[in-house]
Amino acid sequence: MNFPDATRVFLNQTGEISRFAFRFFRQGLRTRYEWQELLRQCYIVGYKSLPLAALTAFIMGLVLTMQLHPTMVYYGVEAMIPAMVGISIVREIGPILTALIFAGKIGSSIGAELGSMKVTEQIDAMEVSGTNPFKYLVVTRTLASVLMLPVLVILSDAVSLYGSYLGINLYEQVQFNLFFKQILDSLAYQDVVPAIVKTFFFGFAVGIIGCFQGYNSSKGTEGVGRSANAAVVVSSVLIFILDLIAVQVADLL
Amino acid sequence: MKKQTANSVKLGLFVLSALCVLILTLYLLGKNRSLFGSSFIVKTHFKAVNGLIAGNNVRYGGITVGNVRQVVLLNDTVVEVRMDLDQKMRQILRASAKASLGTDGLVGNRVVNIVAGAGGAPLVQAGALLASDEEISTEKMLQTLHRTNENVAVISEELVMILHRISQSVQLTELLNDRSIPDNLKASLLHLRETTEKSSALMSEALLTLDAATKGRGTVATLMTDTAMALELRQAVGQVKTLETDIQRLTAGLEQVVASVNEDMNRGPGPLHTLMNDSLMAGQLRLTVDHAEKGVASFNRNMEALQHNFLLRGYFKKQEKAKKKANKPAE
Repeated sequence: MNFPDATRVFLNQTGEISRFAFRFFRQGLRTRYEWQELLRQCYIVGYKSLPLAALTAFIMGLVLTMQLHPTMVYYGVEAMIPAMVGISIVREIGPILTALIFAGKIGSSIGAELGSMKVTEQIDAMEVSGTNPFKYLVVTRTLASVLMLPVLVILSDAVSLYGSYLGINLYEQVQFNLFFKQILDSLAYQDVVPAIVKTFFFGFAVGIIGCFQGYNSSKGTEGVGRSANAAVVVSSVLIFILDLIAVQVADLL
Repeated sequence: MKKQTANSVKLGLFVLSALCVLILTLYLLGKNRSLFGSSFIVKTHFKAVNGLIAGNNVRYGGITVGNVRQVVLLNDTVVEVRMDLDQKMRQILRASAKASLGTDGLVGNRVVNIVAGAGGAPLVQAGALLASDEEISTEKMLQTLHRTNENVAVISEELVMILHRISQSVQLTELLNDRSIPDNLKASLLHLRETTEKSSALMSEALLTLDAATKGRGTVATLMTDTAMALELRQAVGQVKTLETDIQRLTAGLEQVVASVNEDMNRGPGPLHTLMNDSLMAGQLRLTVDHAEKGVASFNRNMEALQHNFLLRGYFKKQEKAKKKANKPAE
């Protein structure tokens, strides 16, 4: 098969990533689970990311409300702001924004960490010492991000809606009860469930890409930086692609 | 190790809080759609549901009490709507209630409104069929509106004609342009007001007089209230009546007299008849009068002569002097 170089590289990488992901499932299902390491990774990946995710979500909710307000007032539908903000945050902005922040923070850190371990040949040493490095490093980190991103998204949705509530109260007095009643009235299961489900895939994309880039980094310390960078870029793009697929699947339901 | 436990606690807290938020959200959403509360089914039939779908709200008295579970086409004219209602509606909803279709707001979702019917009906059973009111369709409204519009068009055309004629009318324009009319009108109104004031004053005076009259003061009152005077008046009238009969008798007598005179004059043997009808006598009479005139003239001449007679002249002169004397002081 004759492909241009760039295409060949791209296809090669796609195949490598697919194989890497397949390896993750195969290794992850095998016994002898690294529970301790998984919990530790969950703590780092999830809990430590909460302040950053919550802050961006809060600001996003506040800003979105303030941006919408003049237009909604112009059309005389101020009362629809909670519904509109609620739907847009729960369905789209919450998951995407948190996933991107997550990719920036966790994807790069995983890529850099595994990259430096690879370059300093710690992974090889691990293998020699009888520990399965893939299981210990890749499976735990990827699983942690798969499990933690939905949690982060749910919490940052809540924070974001609270920010929106404060945003509305800059202009007019709206009761907390009424605000959340309006949001809940406008939401349905088919809004919430797909939004939560797709965050698992986002988490998987961030974890697996970070691990792959780190695990396959080369060329010394320079490669570490490149791995971290590539982890963020690729996982971010992948998040949008997954979102596109998710919205089409959700439309079918 | 201790640090790791602390981290695990934090992680647990983190995960549990997110789980709580998720469960709470899903529960509240489910409660809104009444997925968890027990419910019972009530049915109703419509000719057309105009876009009602499963999941639309059912309202009773404006409060959401359930939702539409299913919309089924039963046959070519009947659409059956099956609704899930809250269990507590069993104690409220009566079999006489009526269902109708509505819209949430102006452009919102379709809703089924249930309205209470006549009281005293038994409480509704699960699976009962409620009576329904057909919706006033937009098409019908538009048809009516179309007719109204046509009428309005005709009316407006006629109005235009009328207005055209009004605007073309010279007299009316003059009338409208005449600046003096308002002044005149104002003056007229002023006068009218004065008149009214005066008449009202007059009326009040009249009222006062009437009041006084009824209370027994003044001439009118006496006239109206004095019974003795009435008696006298009646007597007077009676006398006047007798007087009248007397006069009548007198007149009759007079008539008789005149009649007899006439009779006499025309036919009777008396001197009057002779005097008036005998032409010979008339000639004689004229001769007599002639002679008498001549006699008087000659008598006058005699008297004149007598005045100038010396025997009697002194007496006439004395008389003239006395006359002059009497006239002088008056001047």
